[in-house]
Amino acid sequence: MTVSENLFENLRLELRRGCLALAVLAQLRQEHYGYTLRKALAERGLAIEESTLYPLLRRLESQGLLASEWREEDKRNKRFYRLSSDGERIFGQLLEEWQAINTSINSIL
Amino acid sequence: MDLLDRYLQAVKKHLPWKRQDDILAELRANLESQLEDKESELGRPLTRGEAEDWLREIGPPMQVAMRYQPQQYLIGPAVFPLYWFVLRLVFLWSMLIYLIVSAVQFFAAGAFSGTFVLEAVLRVPWVLMMATAWVTLIFAVLEFCLTHYPAKFREIAEKAGDGKPEFAWFPGLSANWSPSDLPAVEKEPENGKKPRSYAQAVAEVIFGFLFLVWLLLIPNYPFLLWGPGVLYLRVSPFQLAPVWIQFYWWMVALNVMQLAWRSVDLGRGTWQRRRVTEQMAMGAFGLIPLGILLAVPEHAYVALKHPALDQAQYGAAMASINQAIHWGFQVVFVIVVLQLAWEIAQMYLKVYRKREAAVR
Repeated sequence: MTVSENLFENLRLELRRGCLALAVLAQLRQEHYGYTLRKALAERGLAIEESTLYPLLRRLESQGLLASEWREEDKRNKRFYRLSSDGERIFGQLLEEWQAINTSINSIL
Repeated sequence: MDLLDRYLQAVKKHLPWKRQDDILAELRANLESQLEDKESELGRPLTRGEAEDWLREIGPPMQVAMRYQPQQYLIGPAVFPLYWFVLRLVFLWSMLIYLIVSAVQFFAAGAFSGTFVLEAVLRVPWVLMMATAWVTLIFAVLEFCLTHYPAKFREIAEKAGDGKPEFAWFPGLSANWSPSDLPAVEKEPENGKKPRSYAQAVAEVIFGFLFLVWLLLIPNYPFLLWGPGVLYLRVSPFQLAPVWIQFYWWMVALNVMQLAWRSVDLGRGTWQRRRVTEQMAMGAFGLIPLGILLAVPEHAYVALKHPALDQAQYGAAMASINQAIHWGFQVVFVIVVLQLAWEIAQMYLKVYRKREAAVR
């Protein structure tokens, strides 16, 4: 990887990092377990690697933004996630922030 | 599926042990669901090659497991600037203290010892490593407290800071800083020279220290000054007169003074420009050893090792050598005096111009 490719990759990851958290919070307004969440995001054009998404869910849960429970579905125990009440409030604030940034960037461009 | 079990087992080994069963159960459920989807799309179980490709896509077990580890810093970005600042100060002061202690020990020993100086130099990296280790340890503890007990730490810091917020006692980091307290704008270089960088100032201190060490080693190892010429000195009928010992110690004192001055500048963060007072003082003190050399009775810089035996043969040559050296020193002395006078005149002119500008 050349220096400029490396620089682009770092900037791309930095840009994606915040967006991924926002997308996950948005998608988890409906309950999902890890795999179906990944599929739902991919169907909307946001592919996330397993090794990124599943730890992210854990982190958001430990920060109190998500609530989870183990439940059996299709004869298999799965951990289902959804937005917590704190998560809903913070998601609303983040969404406003993202929309403001998006509007600004569009007007700059 | 044997490969998936082996993969999950490998992941487990690197997971945080407190949550590894829970994480692994979730990961298994997600991967098994994914596998089911893949197999139902194909209408058959994955071949070994396809399964290997799929697991390779997910990532190496250690990398997958590491993503579940909490992000940890020994010293995080919030504390790092303070750490770096303190480390630089500690480096400087530990070197200064070490230099003073070594000098005291050196003089207390009574006799010149090259081995002593060499050992002192070789101990420098160890001193710096110890300083780094202690500062890093203290800041790692600080980082740990800040990340694990932020509320408690803030409470303690506020008490220590007389009710002020954390780090308020430290200039540059306080949330209650005032722009009025910032230092005045540094003067533009008047002679077109760029201000000295930190690296340059550090290099000056390091090389100043090495030069001093070299100077202190000369009495025991004259070849450091004379090189192969030391052999000639041994066999020649001439030797250096005692005045050179006096001159030598003045040079050592001058270098110690300069090194101390530069180190203090570095410690105080005022290394950008050398102060005029420092330049004047160094110039004036530099005249003393030259004056001593010029005042030597009968211009005796070089003497005969065996005057009774060699006076007749080498007496005239010795007198010529001494006279030539004396003339040389006279020229050097005049140049140094003129240079100093020029600097004083320039300094006086600057002060005068400033006064005039202030009056207008």
